[in-house]
Amino acid sequence: MEIEDDEILQGFIEESLEHLADIENDLLTVEEAGADIDEDLVNKVFRAAHSIKGGAGFMGLTTIQDLSHAAENVLGMIRAKKLIPTPEIVNVLLMAMDALQSMIEDVQNSNDVDISSHLTPLNAIAEGTFSQPPAQPQTVPQPEPEEPSMEEPDLCLDTEEEAADEDAIAEETTDAEHPVEPPVIQPMPPVDVPASVTTATKSAQAPPTKTEASLRVHVSLLDSLMNLAGELVLSRNQLLQTIGSDDLRNAEAVGQRIDLITSELQEAIMLTRMQPIGNVFNKFPRVVRDLSKKLGKTIDLTIVGKDVELDKTIIEAINDPLTHLVRNSVDHGIELPSERRQRGKTETGLVILKAYHEAGQVVIEISDDGKGLDGDALAASAVNKGLLTSEQAQVMSDKEKVNLIFLPGFSTAKEVTDVSGRGVGMDVVKTNLDQLGGNVDIISEKGSGTTISIKLPLTLAIIPCQIIETAGERYAIPQVNLEELLRIPAAQVKERIEKVGDAEVVRLRGVLLPLIRLADVIGIERTYYDPVTDEMLPDRREKVSDRRGKNSPLFHNRDGSPKEVADKQFEHPRSIIDRRASAASALNIVVVSTGSMKYGLIVDRLQDSEEIVIKPLGRHLQQCKGYAGATIMGDGRIALILDVSNLARMAHLTSVDGSDRASEVKKAAEAAIKAIKDKQSLLIFKSSEQEHFAVPLNQVERIEKIKRSDIEQLGGKRVMKYRGGSLSLICVDDLAMVQPLADHDSLLVIVFNIAKRSVGLLAIGPIDALEVSADIDGTTLSQPGIMGSIIIDNQTTMLVNVFEMTQTLFPQWFTEQKKPELLDAEEGELPTILIAEDSKFFRNQVKGYMTEVGYNVIEAEDGVEGWTKLMEHGDEISMLVTDIEMPNMNGFELTKKIRSDKQYAKLPIIALTTLASAEDIAKGKAVGVDEYHIKLDKERLMASVHDYIKRTH
Amino acid sequence: MTEMKATTASKKIVELATFYIGDALCGMDILKIQEINKLMQMTKVPQAPEYVVGILNLRGQIVTIIDLGRKLGLGKTDISQDPRNIIVNSAGGHVGLLVRKISDVVSADMEKKESAPANMRGIQGDYFNGVYKTDTNLIGILNVDKVLSIED
Repeated sequence: MEIEDDEILQGFIEESLEHLADIENDLLTVEEAGADIDEDLVNKVFRAAHSIKGGAGFMGLTTIQDLSHAAENVLGMIRAKKLIPTPEIVNVLLMAMDALQSMIEDVQNSNDVDISSHLTPLNAIAEGTFSQPPAQPQTVPQPEPEEPSMEEPDLCLDTEEEAADEDAIAEETTDAEHPVEPPVIQPMPPVDVPASVTTATKSAQAPPTKTEASLRVHVSLLDSLMNLAGELVLSRNQLLQTIGSDDLRNAEAVGQRIDLITSELQEAIMLTRMQPIGNVFNKFPRVVRDLSKKLGKTIDLTIVGKDVELDKTIIEAINDPLTHLVRNSVDHGIELPSERRQRGKTETGLVILKAYHEAGQVVIEISDDGKGLDGDALAASAVNKGLLTSEQAQVMSDKEKVNLIFLPGFSTAKEVTDVSGRGVGMDVVKTNLDQLGGNVDIISEKGSGTTISIKLPLTLAIIPCQIIETAGERYAIPQVNLEELLRIPAAQVKERIEKVGDAEVVRLRGVLLPLIRLADVIGIERTYYDPVTDEMLPDRREKVSDRRGKNSPLFHNRDGSPKEVADKQFEHPRSIIDRRASAASALNIVVVSTGSMKYGLIVDRLQDSEEIVIKPLGRHLQQCKGYAGATIMGDGRIALILDVSNLARMAHLTSVDGSDRASEVKKAAEAAIKAIKDKQSLLIFKSSEQEHFAVPLNQVERIEKIKRSDIEQLGGKRVMKYRGGSLSLICVDDLAMVQPLADHDSLLVIVFNIAKRSVGLLAIGPIDALEVSADIDGTTLSQPGIMGSIIIDNQTTMLVNVFEMTQTLFPQWFTEQKKPELLDAEEGELPTILIAEDSKFFRNQVKGYMTEVGYNVIEAEDGVEGWTKLMEHGDEISMLVTDIEMPNMNGFELTKKIRSDKQYAKLPIIALTTLASAEDIAKGKAVGVDEYHIKLDKERLMASVHDYIKRTH
Repeated sequence: MTEMKATTASKKIVELATFYIGDALCGMDILKIQEINKLMQMTKVPQAPEYVVGILNLRGQIVTIIDLGRKLGLGKTDISQDPRNIIVNSAGGHVGLLVRKISDVVSADMEKKESAPANMRGIQGDYFNGVYKTDTNLIGILNVDKVLSIED
């Protein structure tokens, strides 16, 4: 068939396709409304069909004309209310529209297409011979589809159609789902047949070509573009003139003007590329409808945010991944109605498709209220496949387990359907989205649904980047990958950079972050930037932390250890050279993230952040996986854009593997177990270089930085001026047998308030506040001034007993306090105090406080024992001091139980806690706790104990 | 397109742009050449194949620079000796071919082209279409497509 006027034909095709795009959704709305017809809508569909018919007739496209005519007839009857649009009728119409679409997309061959399979049911409907008792809708389709399938002349067409059907609708249907609802599935393929005849494969490829061909741009936008182009030309003329006249000031003004116009022009041009995401979303009602019908499920699809706009290329590229995800939700997420009923959910499942802006990105969420993902089943499956060791699986968080479905090679349909049903090609989805600079996250709760959220950049052409420099070349890191910039001063490098196995890590807010040196990954010479001489110098250190080699610590450093620059300088710790050189060896770390992976990239220098235009690299450089492209900088030179995820791969960091990550997770798991025990906030510090000390954070009043010269030695005591008075200073080694205070110029003073006076403990950094489980060893390292030890990050840390130290060093402070108490105790019989505390260390500490002053103490290891002891000793006990967190029966429960007994209604109860949150205090008050005290705050605890004892006697 | 026409229309006479790679005189169809430049500011690409010297910005286009000397196994081209850069427009974008120096344009009758001699084949004979003999010189005719193809 020949069509003469190409332009008119093109116009017809475009117009018809637009009509068809609307028709589909309109028909679905019509179906939903049922007998309650929205006339405007039906009219609209009718008119659309009518114009297609008209156009086709004009062009001589008889087959298209016939089919649209038949459809128009049926629509006419619906419009005239002679016919109620049942799902079956709408189905036939939808199939007909699909056939129309495929014919229009391949106009040249459209007249050869056999459309009888559509015409027959359409005509049957129009003539009223299409039986459709509304009461049993399921039986209807059966007689109807048989007609077309009998008319089908060619048997082998059938197999093709099967394949086409598989292609078009069920790309990755899981075979397991098919047999579930055979009666519903059966009628579908024959009905579906005509839609995919001959052009099935083409129609699958058609949408992208369709969108690529032309784009509708609003005239006003075009006008503003035109306007800006005019402005640009004017500015160019001005610029040329200014260059001729040598007028610098004017040149500046023109430069600004061009800057302004260019950015406006850029924005306007980007706008023309923006398309509403509705273009993609609009096809999902149909997808969900067809699929849910096929699977015998009832599903509502809610679409939110159709107007959100995205770059055209992104819109095209997310089509497939989104379809996949929506299909997954329908197919595997939402349960069958019967199953839903059993679980107490409504029979109708809900799938929500949502798009919205967030922080300069577009977020698309696909959520369902289905069965959710079973993380343990996924982990077990991954272990079975050898993708994961069972140790790794054990230490993974639920979230990580759920994210396993993105692992390449994780699943093939059948195997996973057995356990959970998801994971079909999810790695492909992730890869596709990664290529777009997108991010996928999955949140799932077993039994109540899954939400997959995708973060996408608004556009791909121009992206904001962080510019960095390594070995004298600049590189760009896309800001979507950028988490934060971190600079570790030279002085802290040794403390903060650690080595786990072969990998270097940095401790960042309590999390270990793997480090990669950019120079190493891309195989160039390591350099560092010297800000003094403003030049790059080769860096010969083996490890980042080698600033002063780990195996040659301070004390053995002077005997000609390796001649490294830093080492030499360390011999003169106070020289000015040292400080400058130290600044040079500070580390600049770009913390980047990609997917579930997060790591630090060590670079020489950090520069500005800039908006850059991505340019592809030539084919000879395709093998360089570390780059996503190149860009031209302001000075005309080129900077390479780093591909953060590939760099990680090149450095052999993997998200799930990675021993660091696993051990980190393991630590977290251990911590979670320990969390059941008490938590104690500690301030970690050092006195000598090698020994680690800690004090309970809640005893600390302040921390001051001082110079050694601030310390005055007067009358055999160390003091310093502090807030208008003298502050007594002590060292850990004043009492305890530990190494002497390090010979540093700048020192820290940790100020405590003891016996209503301030005392300062001299220390050196680094200091850190940590919350650790109070697993304190009260015997091994215990000595005067040290109450015990605790392992923090594999470092044995000694817990300093400041109270004891002060008491020993300044006994005179306590004399006036102690006396009345002892008198008090001597007057009556010695009161007995019950202590309930699960930690032996704390129990001994508290017991020590009590017995020291002369009280009798009865110990109990938990609430239950506390209660028994109370029952046994009854009247003897004049007070209870209890911990809150205890096994078997906690402090609250114990208090409650005691208060419920009238005999003990007035027993003073003091609760001891490591972390006194306002909530806890309120809770304690509610059950009857008289007072709260912080563990190890001896002074206040004892004062309060005396106070209560006094009152009761 | 133009190249195609050129070769079919004047099958016999081809204008060869000649240049030196190391000490070897080579030539290529002048119609394949977009322009010849001095080497401008170049950015090195770590991890690139050894024969890729770097990339540069040619009026907004990223151009990959290939050192023909290294690619053909004739030794590295000395950047400090003011080498020239022949920009050709290949399928995968612009590519610059770094040569030691540019020589004359020679009109060559392709029918007089001879197959590459044994010693040339010894070096990297695959990269040559043949040899053309002038009065004074032998010109190795470069198979540009082969040079720009990516092995393995």
